[in-house]
Amino acid sequence: MTDSADAQASLEAVLKDEIIRMYQDVADNPAGEFHFYHGREAAELFGYEAEWLDRAPPGAVDSFAGVGNPHLRSNVQSGETVLDLGSGAGLDAIIASWSSGPTGKVIGVDLNPAMCLKAQAHAAATGTPMECREGRMEEIPLPEALVDVVISNGVINLSFRKRKVVEEMFRVLKPGGRISITDIVSGKQLSQSIVNDPKLWAS
Amino acid sequence: MFSLLEEAGFTRVRSAVVPRFRFRKESTQNSAEAYGVKAVMMTAQKPEA
Repeated sequence: MTDSADAQASLEAVLKDEIIRMYQDVADNPAGEFHFYHGREAAELFGYEAEWLDRAPPGAVDSFAGVGNPHLRSNVQSGETVLDLGSGAGLDAIIASWSSGPTGKVIGVDLNPAMCLKAQAHAAATGTPMECREGRMEEIPLPEALVDVVISNGVINLSFRKRKVVEEMFRVLKPGGRISITDIVSGKQLSQSIVNDPKLWAS
Repeated sequence: MFSLLEEAGFTRVRSAVVPRFRFRKESTQNSAEAYGVKAVMMTAQKPEA
């Protein structure tokens, strides 16, 4: 590897740890103060239906840390396979599963194996057959052309390699498949001090 | 992100600002505004084979 590639790999490793720490903290301390809105307050802010939030496991709702509502445009149909990229504690995957139904399938992918276990426990509590795989969004652990819909909520911005993430979403989608994602974008190039600060980048 | 989606081969790429998104902490929100940071919803389709 070149020095530049080494530096990026090193920064990515540190960032991975920081992302796991930050979002694990949200899941473990839902009453905590964070610089972003989270939990039911955030979900209601983004237009999640009260019925969804009442029906979902409280732990999944309390740990929600999205930045919008990917369900508004996902149009998930019965029998479809849905990928939730960065599934966290599972709220979005569980909501998607209510549309894909018993003949469909919802697969979560998350960097943090502990969050995968949590999401699966939340899904199981609602009788939702959700599968969660530990993995990176830059290397989605799924074969090509498997899924009908990719949803994601506030996750892709955390990657240093967004082009690769987009290419991976394209790869795992079936022809005619679609994405419905909500995320953070910046209108200006972030300063190097932000890029090199894992705590700021992870936020 | 919009251009990345198009360059990857996605079609019907659409985006819209998430109207109610903001950071809880005022200092973070101020920094975000300075950098033009916003939340967006994006949809796109992989072409049929």
